[in-house]
Amino acid sequence: MSQPATVFVGMSGGVDSSVAAMLLVEQGYNVVGVYMKNWSQDLPGMKCPWADDLADAKRVAVKLGIPFEVWDFEKAYREKVVDYMLAEFRKGNTPNPDVMCNQEIKFKLFYEKAMAKGADFIATGHYARTGRGLLRAVDENKDQTYFLYRISDEALEHTIFPIGGMLKPEVKKLAAEKGLHNAYKKESMGVCFVGEVGMRDFLKEYIDVQPGEIREMETEKVLGYHDGAVFYTIGQRHGLYLSGEKGKINDGMPYYVVAKDIEKNIVYVSKNLNDAHIWATELKLTDVVMRGGAGGQMMSKILVRLRHRAPLIPASFDGETLHFENAVKRPASGQSAVLYDGEICLGGGIIC
Amino acid sequence: MIYLDHAAATPVSEKVLEAMRPYFLEDFFNPSAAYLPAKKVAAEYEAAKGVIAHAIGAKANDLVITAGATEANNLALGIVALDGSILYLATEHDSVRKTAERMGGEAINVLPSGVIDLDDLRAKITDDTMIISVALVNNELGTIQPLAEIAEIIRSVRMDRLKRGVKRPLYLHSDASQALNLLDVNVARLGVDMLTLNAAKVYGPKGVGALYVSHEVKLTPLTVGGGQERGLRSGTENVPGVIGFAAAITEAREHLNGNRKKYAKWRKILLDGLQEYELINRKHSLDNFLVLCYNGIDAERLIFLLEERGVYVATGAACAASKGVRSHVLKAIGLNDAQIAGSLRITLGETNTDDQIYEAAEAINEVVLIEKERIER
Repeated sequence: MSQPATVFVGMSGGVDSSVAAMLLVEQGYNVVGVYMKNWSQDLPGMKCPWADDLADAKRVAVKLGIPFEVWDFEKAYREKVVDYMLAEFRKGNTPNPDVMCNQEIKFKLFYEKAMAKGADFIATGHYARTGRGLLRAVDENKDQTYFLYRISDEALEHTIFPIGGMLKPEVKKLAAEKGLHNAYKKESMGVCFVGEVGMRDFLKEYIDVQPGEIREMETEKVLGYHDGAVFYTIGQRHGLYLSGEKGKINDGMPYYVVAKDIEKNIVYVSKNLNDAHIWATELKLTDVVMRGGAGGQMMSKILVRLRHRAPLIPASFDGETLHFENAVKRPASGQSAVLYDGEICLGGGIIC
Repeated sequence: MIYLDHAAATPVSEKVLEAMRPYFLEDFFNPSAAYLPAKKVAAEYEAAKGVIAHAIGAKANDLVITAGATEANNLALGIVALDGSILYLATEHDSVRKTAERMGGEAINVLPSGVIDLDDLRAKITDDTMIISVALVNNELGTIQPLAEIAEIIRSVRMDRLKRGVKRPLYLHSDASQALNLLDVNVARLGVDMLTLNAAKVYGPKGVGALYVSHEVKLTPLTVGGGQERGLRSGTENVPGVIGFAAAITEAREHLNGNRKKYAKWRKILLDGLQEYELINRKHSLDNFLVLCYNGIDAERLIFLLEERGVYVATGAACAASKGVRSHVLKAIGLNDAQIAGSLRITLGETNTDDQIYEAAEAINEVVLIEKERIER
């Protein structure tokens, strides 16, 4: 009988990667569980759950009877993900750390280390599938290819996504049936280590407060003041402290951030939902990654996703700029646009 | 459930809970209030403090009630902030170790047995030394430290200082959190100037502790406000907590002799029934502490396997293990990383029965075998 293939599975302590590991064991692979320790620091108002997550991952590994290791990527994560993220925010962009984490940590450092330790494959609990390249998950609501479009073809060829063909409720149900203690564990939110709500607090740990003006886009009128333009994102409408004559500037319609002047530290807002800054029929991309040698020619009739879980929008792409038939709400610069041909993820780029 | 982690937490006994109950409900008054019912509560609070103090051979006014042992340890070591330096045992709990480290304290070595190296202590005492902190019973190993001998050394240093005209005082502080279930603790016999007590380890409520302070020591308060506890620890008195602590310490003293016999018997059952372990705390340890090393095995995996079987044990100190930090205590007694990773801490207590001890031995043997077979595969 031939030796079963060895799979190193990234286990976060959550139900998805736990079920992924369990399925691999059931399928007869030689499975090694690994907890990637990327971040462990507590922050104001946020207790980092890494120790509990690690214990949850290990508990499942022990239950499955597989070896379990902790790989410390904190230094690399700080350099490749957090420092990148801070640099982008300082430039006025709104980067996506999950995309960077997959590209630099999970499907690079983890992949390389696993292969060096004798892995035939790596596996994660992502909702995605492989086949003719990277494919969208069966659970359209959970599909995570938006975060995976930049991982290398080489790593992908050696990757198994055991739960990519399942629906989230099925994953939970299976976990519960098999007695996994974390079947109903609350999902971690947003970015790997800090919930979406916490991003501003997180940034304030590293970026100094710099008071500046909030101006109305159309009139240049000063409506209020902010504590640093870098903390604001295009499209944001919460957390704006606008002063001025109540009722006159605020007729019940919310103001949106429509532009930022990072150099002058000015945040521009508008009530006009038709403001040209909010909508776009074209989006220029930078740092484009095309998967499996795709691209090079005009691609029409493709689908584009501009945010995780956002609907797929028909578009065409000339290798540099996305063209839409109908105007789309413009995502913040630094976010990703991910391209699809049906279920196949073609690649994507960073929105300028 | 078979609970074998009594050094981490103990359940509140029925008697303790009953004693506390009225002070949450009808007798809820602030002891500082002027009317008679409040004064009655104040008197009962003082009486309860008297019971706690009496248990260690002290008086109510010698105690400062705190919100647990950590605060008591911080309060005790705080005197050094004024003038002087700290020596602490390398195996002290973090509430002593980290406080001392922050104040530039120096660690005293332990022998491989876990007992203080008295020669190292003598060598490290200088004219700057103001406080020496040594726990009566170590929280990971159960090691009992020879406090009377340490006090003797301190007495001779004091004499020598007086002779040479050195004015700096020298005090002995000890954390006795783990001691009260098995030892007859008496401040005069131990020769301590300050002693930390903890209700949560003697079947009393969590978040209640006390610091015994001799009249020689002038403490600096960490908390200021209404001037409670002779101005040393402001904040409205935790009346139910202290009533509960008094009930708990009284029970502990009643059980003292019975406990010694019971735990010695259970310890023997475990040591005879368990297989292929190395006993780490062979000597100078309380009988309810067993630290077992399973070479080549990851003890945390054993914990998770035992947890599925309803048996709860610890590796090293409970809080250290969960953060992936290697136990500084096991390191201090000379264990290598693999030995530390393979160490289980079992601490017996009131919740246990004879049957449970036999069952626990079986369960531990079973999970050790599971891990051994997995590793061999």
